[in-house]
Amino acid sequence: MKYRYATVLMAGALLLGACGTAKEAPVTEVAAAQAAVQAEGGHNDTDVMYLQMMVAHHEQGLEMVRLAEERAGRPEIRTLAKAIDVTQADEVELMTGWLKQWSAPTEVDHAPSAHADHGGLPATGDEEIAALKKAKGAAFETAFLNLFVAHQHNAVEMAQLVTTKGSNAETRAFADRVKASRADQIKQMLQLMNG
Amino acid sequence: MRRSIAYPLVALGALGSTLVGAAPALAHGYVSAPPSRQALCASGAVANCGQIQFEPQSVEGPKGLRSCDGGVAGFSVLSDESRNWPAKAVGSTVTFTWVMTARHRTSNWEYFIGDKKVATVDGGNAQPDAVVTHNIDLSAFPGKQKVLAVWNIGDTVNAFYSCIDLNVGGSSGGSGGTTPTTAPTTKAPTTAPTTSAPTTAPTTTAPTRTSAPAVPIGESGAAWAPGVAYRTGDKVTYEGKTYQCRQSHSAIRSWEPSIYTLALWLPL
Repeated sequence: MKYRYATVLMAGALLLGACGTAKEAPVTEVAAAQAAVQAEGGHNDTDVMYLQMMVAHHEQGLEMVRLAEERAGRPEIRTLAKAIDVTQADEVELMTGWLKQWSAPTEVDHAPSAHADHGGLPATGDEEIAALKKAKGAAFETAFLNLFVAHQHNAVEMAQLVTTKGSNAETRAFADRVKASRADQIKQMLQLMNG
Repeated sequence: MRRSIAYPLVALGALGSTLVGAAPALAHGYVSAPPSRQALCASGAVANCGQIQFEPQSVEGPKGLRSCDGGVAGFSVLSDESRNWPAKAVGSTVTFTWVMTARHRTSNWEYFIGDKKVATVDGGNAQPDAVVTHNIDLSAFPGKQKVLAVWNIGDTVNAFYSCIDLNVGGSSGGSGGTTPTTAPTTKAPTTAPTTSAPTTAPTTTAPTRTSAPAVPIGESGAAWAPGVAYRTGDKVTYEGKTYQCRQSHSAIRSWEPSIYTLALWLPL
């Protein structure tokens, strides 16, 4: 985790290098890479709540895809899981970076009343993840694909919240990317489920 | 870095159900396997479905309907029999899998073929899991059938509808059979597009793939494109720059090389 984050930052530095703004940028230049994706401009409570909920949602998702990387029989499923792992892990870094930039807590508020009004409730239960951990073979694949389809549908639903009520441009753009990528992941998973 | 965040799920769900009474719920649920018509739209197996492809879980209407579209005008494609919906070959007992995105308190689930009720599964007015499966005996209904699956919500007047086209007894596997049935029996062929058909070519309803998705393989140095399977080490060009794939994946929207996808693409 730590190591992979460092490689991403290095890549960010290289990207800056390619743009000509920071030639020969040292790989340790963490701030430079983060600066490229700061959430400048104003933000509102919806932006904050969305990011907090999504950080928690992502970490639950990471737990599921990391099981699939190990347990899924079909290589297509393992590849999809791994690609989701690396992209979502970076998204977590991005989101927590924005929350810190806004001096907001990065942990979701555990009080259910904090989010009930907004409809963005997570659907995946801890008990279902526990059951997934015990599933084997084809049953694992079926359980993972269905559970993760539901999980990514929730991500799209939460993104809807911020694209209608959020105010920060970077957060809204992030939510748009979430909508597109998750819809396409669901498409792939439904194919894998019924192919 | 890793934090363990425990959702207070039971409490959330309880509040969620009161929320439903106050305002229309966000979404909801559909049959993912065997694929319902909305699942076929969302997977791309049936093209040109309109908005339903992005929200297959949203076919919500008042209880008591017998329609595939839940009475939602924007989803009328689901009731369009001219779309030649591919029927999944299944055994005589079928495992139906529901994907739930909001865990509404559940009165029951009902399964119909035509006007005949095939099965009722009690929901106990409890919250379902995010994934629910039912084993339904369809041995009395061999051959090509359209099953209407209904999720009746416990604390609203609404239900969620999914139609699943099956060829019962067509294979031994519950949902593992892959034989796509092609020729529809008595339904009208795909000549006259209905008024509800979306924009472009309404006749391209035949499923485009058979068993394995025919994914194009990345050609090194070519322009990045969605739908292509890239392997670690592949090079692509995108907006005038060259990138190298760092993690094998099938390209999808928003996964193009950028500052946001450095985990997938290394700028060279």
